[in-house]
Amino acid sequence: MAPLSTIRRHARSIARFWSSSLAAEMEYQLNLLIEVAATLITLAGSLFTLSLFFGHGQRLGGWSWEAALVVLGIYTLLNGFSSTLLRPNLGNLVKQVQSGSLDFVLLKPMDSQIWLSLRTLSPWGLPEMVLGLVLVVVGTIRSGARPDAPALVTGGLMLLAGVAILYSLWFVLAATSIWFVKIWNATEVLRSLLAAGQFPVSAYPSTLRVVFSTVLPVAFLTTVPAEAILGLASGGSVLAGLVLAVLSLLGSRALWRFALRHYTSASS
Amino acid sequence: MAIVHVQGLCRSFRVSEKDPGLAGTLRHFLRRKVRTVEAVRDLHFTIEPGEMVGFLGPNGAGKTTTLKMLSGLLHPSDGRVEVAGHVPARREADFLRRITLVMGQKQQLIWDLPPLDSLRVNAAVYGLDDREAARRIGELAEMLELGEELHRPVRKLSLGQRMKAELMAALLHRPEVLFLDEPTLGLDVNAQAAMRRFLADYNRRHGATVLLTSHYMADITALCPRVLLIHAGSLFHDGSLEELTQRLAPRREVRLELADILPGSAFSVYGEVESCSGRDVRLLVERDRLTTVVGRLLADLPVLDLEVRDPPIEDIIGRLFRQGSTETP
Amino acid sequence: MSQPLPSQPRRYRRFGRHRGLQTLASALRIARALFISQYALMLEFRAEILLWALSGLMPLLMFSLWSGAPAGAAAGISPQAFARYFLAAFVVRQFTVVWVVYAFEEDNLLGRLSPLLLQPLPLIWRYAAAHLAEQATRFPFVVGMVALFFWAVPEAVWIPSPTRLLLALLAAHLGFWLNFLLQHAITMLCFWSERASALERFLFMPYLFLSGMLAPLDLYPEAVRRFALLTPFPSMLYLPAQLASGGPIDAVAGFQTVAIWLAVLIPLNLVLWRAGVRRYAAMGG
Repeated sequence: MAPLSTIRRHARSIARFWSSSLAAEMEYQLNLLIEVAATLITLAGSLFTLSLFFGHGQRLGGWSWEAALVVLGIYTLLNGFSSTLLRPNLGNLVKQVQSGSLDFVLLKPMDSQIWLSLRTLSPWGLPEMVLGLVLVVVGTIRSGARPDAPALVTGGLMLLAGVAILYSLWFVLAATSIWFVKIWNATEVLRSLLAAGQFPVSAYPSTLRVVFSTVLPVAFLTTVPAEAILGLASGGSVLAGLVLAVLSLLGSRALWRFALRHYTSASS
Repeated sequence: MAIVHVQGLCRSFRVSEKDPGLAGTLRHFLRRKVRTVEAVRDLHFTIEPGEMVGFLGPNGAGKTTTLKMLSGLLHPSDGRVEVAGHVPARREADFLRRITLVMGQKQQLIWDLPPLDSLRVNAAVYGLDDREAARRIGELAEMLELGEELHRPVRKLSLGQRMKAELMAALLHRPEVLFLDEPTLGLDVNAQAAMRRFLADYNRRHGATVLLTSHYMADITALCPRVLLIHAGSLFHDGSLEELTQRLAPRREVRLELADILPGSAFSVYGEVESCSGRDVRLLVERDRLTTVVGRLLADLPVLDLEVRDPPIEDIIGRLFRQGSTETP
Repeated sequence: MSQPLPSQPRRYRRFGRHRGLQTLASALRIARALFISQYALMLEFRAEILLWALSGLMPLLMFSLWSGAPAGAAAGISPQAFARYFLAAFVVRQFTVVWVVYAFEEDNLLGRLSPLLLQPLPLIWRYAAAHLAEQATRFPFVVGMVALFFWAVPEAVWIPSPTRLLLALLAAHLGFWLNFLLQHAITMLCFWSERASALERFLFMPYLFLSGMLAPLDLYPEAVRRFALLTPFPSMLYLPAQLASGGPIDAVAGFQTVAIWLAVLIPLNLVLWRAGVRRYAAMGG
């Protein structure tokens, strides 16, 4: 099959996926009010907590208040992204594995990882993404940094890398539900660990800094993209971020294929 | 050119057993007791395009496992499978476009939306343009007698209507091979009959090959001229239901109502006495001797009423599954 | 086995004076039976409970931040004090977490409510027993995690004085009941609307920011701290954590707040429960 028509078919399918899930979600209108209110309150609380670290012109891990806002902004953006795409889809993945409806997905003439990752779009995370972006802009301007085009591009790139790493972490966890039935609680552990990304990674003691740069690459989710936007990122961390992003996507793919082979008992 | 070709198909599972309680948990953690269950053993069969074939067997016989191997959801432990010219386990896009799977009581439709929305999604996934999709939706809706139900959220439909909508979603891309796993499970009598009518109609119109598993005999009797009976993982019978009845129950039941009471021993010369209570007698008579015996009964005895019938097929097969067969397959 | 049917009334009459004790005895018997069955159930979910316990790591993360933050030192709190406070907060959180609204929602969805409501035991006791049983199941995990923390941060090791420990345990347990009653009140609203469970988020947010989980309340600006102390949230975390870790705390005021909020929440729950059950019955279950 010609690759162009396959791409077009995939794009059309994804558009249908998202319009149908938007339609399903919009059945409950009160949700919008609740979500916006919750987002605003959470953001206010996070800002307040962050401010406690900057009482009298102090710094946190060498970061100024305004620069730390950029980190928090990116965290908020990624949190919104999780609520929009990651949690609805990967929660469904776990449910489908448990109920046996995964079989229907596997029989569709479409890559199952793409289907499972993009099937649902929950609009309720979008306000949070917008607020996060606003915070990033505000923080950047007020910190006095004037990012030029390369800095913005690098920042955008690092943000995408962060998205890729976040997606892979969630996906790998959800995919293990093929082996461990009650895995969904583990995503709560993941979320509580990722909450460390609200603060610049240099604010943590050295052991945790290492952990957050390698095993659980929280640093590359929020701190490194923030550094890039503020023009502070080192070439090394940019490169590391890109490499990590590619590796995690490949890793998630490899794990999924391994999981499917287990599900269809290809190996036994 | 056969559309389904199965040779030496085997599937076994490793099952671990755990004793209850804390001690059992620890033992299970340290050393697992594993045993191998042979779900499917050495199946051979071919199916031509357009056939309607029923897989019959008790629960746990291996019907669903076989169907999953045919659709590619499960890799065989051994043997060869070929469906529509593809190896199912590879799940190539071309293969997936030519098959469909419907499972009773499991659904792929979006719960909160009308079926039409899910149908639009399927249309995009299978590469149907909107006009063609609308045409097919119209045709299927007419065959399934669905109208305004398509505009109501799925959660507000009855089970029967939901299964019809599921069929629509499963058949939109007009597959050549239909795998149906217990499709009438949980439906009421009318809904079951409607589904059977539809499947027969669809098979006639589009020449699709239908593989159906069910433990409702009515489904099989109504739809499947050919039956594959799977018992303890092996293929016990491949042929028509009549042949199966012949094979399992070579005798027919003769019920007599007599004018006088006669002792049971008086009937043993005609056939095996199944029951003898007062004036009502039931005999089992070999098929090939049937006409002769009936003639003699009418001539010799004071018969008020006589009825000849097959023992019900449910009983025959039920007996087979309960006792195991005295025949070697 | 004798059938003393005619003699039974005589036996009851003999113990008629001790009916109060009988009620207490039967209540204790029910409580014991409930707890044992729920504990057995929770043991089955050991793995999930461990994961839930692990997901409460936020206080320990905050400790790692505060111990190195200039703002912390400027407030005159040593890293050691932070370690003790946040460890105590971590432990308290493990034993004050409440999930009654989710349990209720699931029971409602699966149609389990009707048979449960027909029993002569108010639903609240079932859920309370489940929570206490879950806490008992968590206990070994928490001990393990505390030991791990002490191994990682040996300078923080301490044992609170007996009075403080006792007060801390009492405060923590009362804090659990406050949290439970608060969430239970929201749960009762589910009798009127299925979507009421979404309101739980609006309980969690003030809890997160006002209970002292992210920083000891001493670090809060004066106005915010005074506001926080009016809410029940510090009683669920800050009060027991400060008591256990030896930090400065006005225990009397703290327990006064606890008493006031209990006096508010207990009748509120009673009213909502009775009204809710009436509505459930009116709607046909």
